[in-house]
Amino acid sequence: MNDLPNRARSISSLRDFLELLEDAGQAITWSDAVMPEPGVRNIAVAASRDANGAPAIVFDNITGYPGKRLAVGVHGSWDNIALLLGRPKGTTIRELFFEIAGRWGDQEAQISYVPEAQAPVHECRLEQDINLYDILPVYRINEYDGGFYIGKASVASRDPLDPDNFGKQNVGIYRLQIQGPDSFTLMTIPSHDMGRQIMAAEREGVPLKIAVMLGNHPGLAVFAATPIGYEESEYSYASAMMGAPIRLTKSGNGIDILADSEIVIEAELQLGERELEGPFGEFPGSYSGVRKAPIFKVTAVSHRRDPIFENIYIGRGWTEHDTLIGLHTSAPIYAQLRQSFPEVTAVNALYQHGLTGIISVKNRMAGFAKTVALRALSTPHGVMYLKNLIMVDADVDPFDLNQVMWALSTRTRADDIIVLPNMPAVPIDPSAVIPGKGHRLIIDATSYLPPDPVGEAHLVTPPTGDEIDALSKRIREMQLGALS
Amino acid sequence: MTTTVCGRCKSSGAVTDHQGRQDGAVVWTILRCPTCNFSWRDSEPARAIDPAVRSADFAVDAGDLQRYPKILQQ
Repeated sequence: MNDLPNRARSISSLRDFLELLEDAGQAITWSDAVMPEPGVRNIAVAASRDANGAPAIVFDNITGYPGKRLAVGVHGSWDNIALLLGRPKGTTIRELFFEIAGRWGDQEAQISYVPEAQAPVHECRLEQDINLYDILPVYRINEYDGGFYIGKASVASRDPLDPDNFGKQNVGIYRLQIQGPDSFTLMTIPSHDMGRQIMAAEREGVPLKIAVMLGNHPGLAVFAATPIGYEESEYSYASAMMGAPIRLTKSGNGIDILADSEIVIEAELQLGERELEGPFGEFPGSYSGVRKAPIFKVTAVSHRRDPIFENIYIGRGWTEHDTLIGLHTSAPIYAQLRQSFPEVTAVNALYQHGLTGIISVKNRMAGFAKTVALRALSTPHGVMYLKNLIMVDADVDPFDLNQVMWALSTRTRADDIIVLPNMPAVPIDPSAVIPGKGHRLIIDATSYLPPDPVGEAHLVTPPTGDEIDALSKRIREMQLGALS
Repeated sequence: MTTTVCGRCKSSGAVTDHQGRQDGAVVWTILRCPTCNFSWRDSEPARAIDPAVRSADFAVDAGDLQRYPKILQQ
């Protein structure tokens, strides 16, 4: 496992990444016979208890699906995320955050096109008698889900009103419920790019074709879930952030897709139609309701030989959802905040997609952190998601909850909080006043500065910095060495 | 024996979408309710698919499907 950065940059597919993970002891194959329910769920949940070190699991003996393979937990631990970023196992979350934040915006995208006939994703193609329940080893992710869900699909689409614009292509992760052999519903909200495109297509009466990519380049899975601007291409972002080329090809219905994905499902929106969808065990750890959602008809399926169906366990945390999107939720908020306030030193929005966030800031004056918090609420992700914000000083590591609790204990006055009533909220937040509307909370846990008459206490200053970090790692290594 | 009664809304008439086979024998069947769109595998634990023991919290009222909101309205 020498030269991790180069190895990470050479990844072009899920298969490459699984090989890297296996070499690092971070992927295992589950070859015992397992029933789709509840066996797959039980194993996925048991693995995800270890947020730091859980391996990816590849199932190859699912009862009733002989010869089919399923992967879960590919992004299911910080160690797996570290390896994707070319860093060793054991890299701290804080280090991973700064690894990503440091890559933001300073690299060029490298996009190349592969002719369809040479693209691995098109090795096998089905255009009739399509049965998704047969092609994919599906299973019920949580026991009261309304059906069989595809939980880790990167859905690519072109803007129906500007179909030739590369930047306006959208790639996003949306939950898909299979609704019969060749149909599925897609859940989205108007503020998401896909919701915007569906509403535009229905308003104008124009077709909306999509390509659902499964088992993808692990960088895309991360960046398709990252909130970026509407006219920014997720492919370009993924390539720039990985510092590596991304190979695209065309789907049969004319959309740019990854050439090395395991499976692509081509489908078309059924204009104006809605079908009952849900419930689904969602990232806040509770079930969504039953709603009527847009439905898509499958027109073709392409896949590699012996494809791997990649899925996710999502529900009450920690789950793969949290490690998949946590850092890439935090990094854009950090970058956007620093454009206005370079005093911001780190952002931890790991919790339930940022429903709770912790921001550290160099406090310039009494109350300054509250101003920064209000700016955070107006970032693209903050508008809907940042519900509870804890503001701490720059001497507090927001990724170390023991330090955050110290700040709450010693620097917070009960009347030094702000509640902003009746703000927008994600509809699946179970604490919302009504779905889509709720209150925001800002807790100022920063130190007292003039003109506050109290002033900061005389602090004990234990040694910190690189030397202490290195000593801490060495102690851990000595401890592990004593075990081996 | 596989029932065609929906475990969620208790409507009858579920359709078979797929059967899983192992060594030539059918080991489970996936069914789908055309009324409420619940789909299930007949090998799942009873608490998820048997209307007699399934949690009422997750029932769907087949007589009042209008109550469920439609997303993305213009």
